Amino acid sequence: MTLARPLANRLFPAATALAAALVLAGCTPGTTTSDSSDTAGTPVTGGTLVYASGDAEPSCLDPHVGGNYPQALVASQFLETLYTKDADGTLIPWLAEGSTVSDDGLTRTVKIRQGISFTDGTALDAEAVKANFEHLLDPATASSTGYLALGKIASMKAVDAATLELALKTPDNSLLESFSMPWVAIESPAALKRTQAENCAAPVGTGPFKVESWKKQDSVNLVRNAAYASPDPAAAHAGTAYLDAITWRFIPEAATRIAALQAGEVQVIDNAQPDAIAAAAKNSAIKHLDAPRPGASNRVELNSSKAPFNDAKVREAFIHAVNIDASIDSLFFGTAPRSYSPLSSVEPLAYSDESLFDYDPAKAGELLDAAGWKERDAEGYRVKDGTRLSLSFPVSTSQSIPAEQSIFEQMQATAKESGIEIKINLLDISSWYGELAKNDYNLVSAPYTKVGPSVLSILFHSDSTIPAPSGYFANLSQVKNPALDALLDKAGSTSDEAERKDLYTQAQKLVLEGHYLLPLYDQQNHFLYSEKLQNVGATSAVATPLFTDTWLAN
Amino acid sequence: MSTSTAAVRSPRKIGAPVRWLLGKIGGGIFVLWAVATAIFFGIRMIPGDPAQAIMGGPGSQASAEALAAARTEYGLDQPLYLQYFGQLRRLATGDLGTSYSLKTPVADVLGELLPPTLILAGLALLVAWAMALGLGILSTRSGVLGSAVASGLEIVSAAVPHFWLASVLIMVFSTMLGWLPPVSTNTPAGLVLPVITLALPLAGFLGQVMRDTMETAQRSAFALSARARGESEVGVLLRHSLRHAALPGIALSGWALGSLLSGAVVVESIFARPGLGRTLLSAVTARDIPLVTGVALVSAAAYVVIMAFSDLAERLVDPRIGTP
Repeated sequence: MTLARPLANRLFPAATALAAALVLAGCTPGTTTSDSSDTAGTPVTGGTLVYASGDAEPSCLDPHVGGNYPQALVASQFLETLYTKDADGTLIPWLAEGSTVSDDGLTRTVKIRQGISFTDGTALDAEAVKANFEHLLDPATASSTGYLALGKIASMKAVDAATLELALKTPDNSLLESFSMPWVAIESPAALKRTQAENCAAPVGTGPFKVESWKKQDSVNLVRNAAYASPDPAAAHAGTAYLDAITWRFIPEAATRIAALQAGEVQVIDNAQPDAIAAAAKNSAIKHLDAPRPGASNRVELNSSKAPFNDAKVREAFIHAVNIDASIDSLFFGTAPRSYSPLSSVEPLAYSDESLFDYDPAKAGELLDAAGWKERDAEGYRVKDGTRLSLSFPVSTSQSIPAEQSIFEQMQATAKESGIEIKINLLDISSWYGELAKNDYNLVSAPYTKVGPSVLSILFHSDSTIPAPSGYFANLSQVKNPALDALLDKAGSTSDEAERKDLYTQAQKLVLEGHYLLPLYDQQNHFLYSEKLQNVGATSAVATPLFTDTWLAN
Repeated sequence: MSTSTAAVRSPRKIGAPVRWLLGKIGGGIFVLWAVATAIFFGIRMIPGDPAQAIMGGPGSQASAEALAAARTEYGLDQPLYLQYFGQLRRLATGDLGTSYSLKTPVADVLGELLPPTLILAGLALLVAWAMALGLGILSTRSGVLGSAVASGLEIVSAAVPHFWLASVLIMVFSTMLGWLPPVSTNTPAGLVLPVITLALPLAGFLGQVMRDTMETAQRSAFALSARARGESEVGVLLRHSLRHAALPGIALSGWALGSLLSGAVVVESIFARPGLGRTLLSAVTARDIPLVTGVALVSAAAYVVIMAFSDLAERLVDPRIGTP
């Protein structure tokens, strides 16, 4: 899964920095500060929420097609999933009533909630869910995230209206977690039968809102589903949404988004940048929702398939040669705690080991000497057999925000002191994919959002080094370790929860201790919103905000 | 002027406007062909599979079958020369193809997004002209010091980058004063900041050129003789100097429109305004060949038309060049 932020976001870092400087200098917005701290009393019905998204405008509103985060953000407002997570992060059934699995783990029976209708009036039943899974598995749909999530399904059968039986190729204990992702959301099968263009323009789900219209490059207009009947068990209230409508706007430039929020033109912005979050902390009219994404942490991966990182000593040396703690703290204004895990901190099975990641140039030097990188060239970089210790680092400008790019520059500066050259290459997303497909990188940073620890199999199993027809492969550190494969396979298929935890812990230890990656922080997912908006905080399993319980105070 | 002389023109002279028009059309077609050709081959030199772009980029992990189907559907499995001539034939019949990323006909996308960009660029050009002339007139009427101040202002504004100007305007007029929205919709208020952002640097540039000409004209022999005939200073300015000053301005307006269209990429992104510039940015990022080609052709066509008009306007303002 990739998240694509628009190029424009990256084009004007200077503008953003300027805007932030002025905000920080104390230019308070025109919005009034409410003295009342108890506005979260009685919900008010009505009003239109204007949401400003900095993520790319999806080319298709159906998250089955493709499957990236911009789609998940907006689709969470009108599509719902079989499972979801409650506020504690516990998986709970939603459009499903429950699920059982056979002793051999090869048959999964899902009970579908009855009495729920899609907004086109058709009923939700087992056949409808089956039609959705078939749509996801159809190559013509070109699903990425959803396709991978359902990859272990061999066949399926609607036993009766409420019962779907799935035959699996191999046991898959991550299936219910996968069912909680918006990329596997359930749509009206009648609507899915339309052309892909039609379905992309207005997918039909069971959600609290429905798509009314989509004006390209401007907004998606969502209106309340007056017949809404499927709040999840953890929802704050049972009825329809309080808001009449949501205008989902696309505002690519970060400085404009925060200005629009301060001017009261919009009530929620996503992709809030670190400087804006820090400024908002001093402004009582603007509130902050920090909702890290599940799945993998944001990390730098070390390509172990070729020199110099095919030498474990060089990987370890690199990890100790870069000093990033201080730069994370200063560049992210304390909004991004450091991670020492391959998994997001919201993953219950995440395993951390801080001791492996201390900045220790002396140790880095010893390791590099031992690995034969003893000489230095005129510029102070280490040399072995006439080759400089030089690392290519393609960076996608649409995936790394300016603050993150600055972190990479800090890494570059500290690595130089240990005689390691890092060549940062800023690229648009297509060229970036091109560099990866050519294996033309030593370092890379790529996001991956998926619910549950099974994301580890996608990122570190040797199967994932085999490129898809597109040339893309998810195992970017190119670890090929039979012991790790065995751990991941077993962890994904066991029905014993304790064993699953133990196996995933061992797998994480293996990749951390093998120095295949340098964890940075959770995937940053920050929302800023107006104090007039009450009851913001509920999020989907992938941390997209939900507005069923939200209302606009007068 | 031209109507009274047309009747006595020789047959050869009557053909002149037609020849001028044919020349412009021929030149325009050549430009469009060159643009279409350059884009066709240029885009194929960039690494990356167009079929990937159709299927939503490498991240979508489309299957081999889906990629093959896309290649067949869009004719990408044909030899390059066949694709090229096929593309030219389609373009010649006005078929701009279907956008890879939006899955809608490029003509529809352009039809929807060209007007807002033209409104933006057109207004910016008008405002830039008004600012440049206003400043020019004020400075010629206020002596050496006024001229120096105006010149300084022009140099500074001509050098200001669009993204910086946009950020400052948003900060001052939206965040601090709350007068104007930072997000541009098609309301008049929403247009003010984007138009000023585009117009100010252009006004600086036009102003520099026009004021120089104006000042020279004010000091010239014909201005002196006009004054000697009893013409007032205002009369000299309006009837003589302004006409001279307008000439380089008109000549530059074709070029200016090109710069406005490129400025629209930045301005439309910052003010979250739908339009051609923002479309071009996302189309290039998504490697959407038909859409990139469509935007480039429409921009080139607009450029050709504006150049023809500025040529015509120049001839009307300056009889020395002669009407076509």
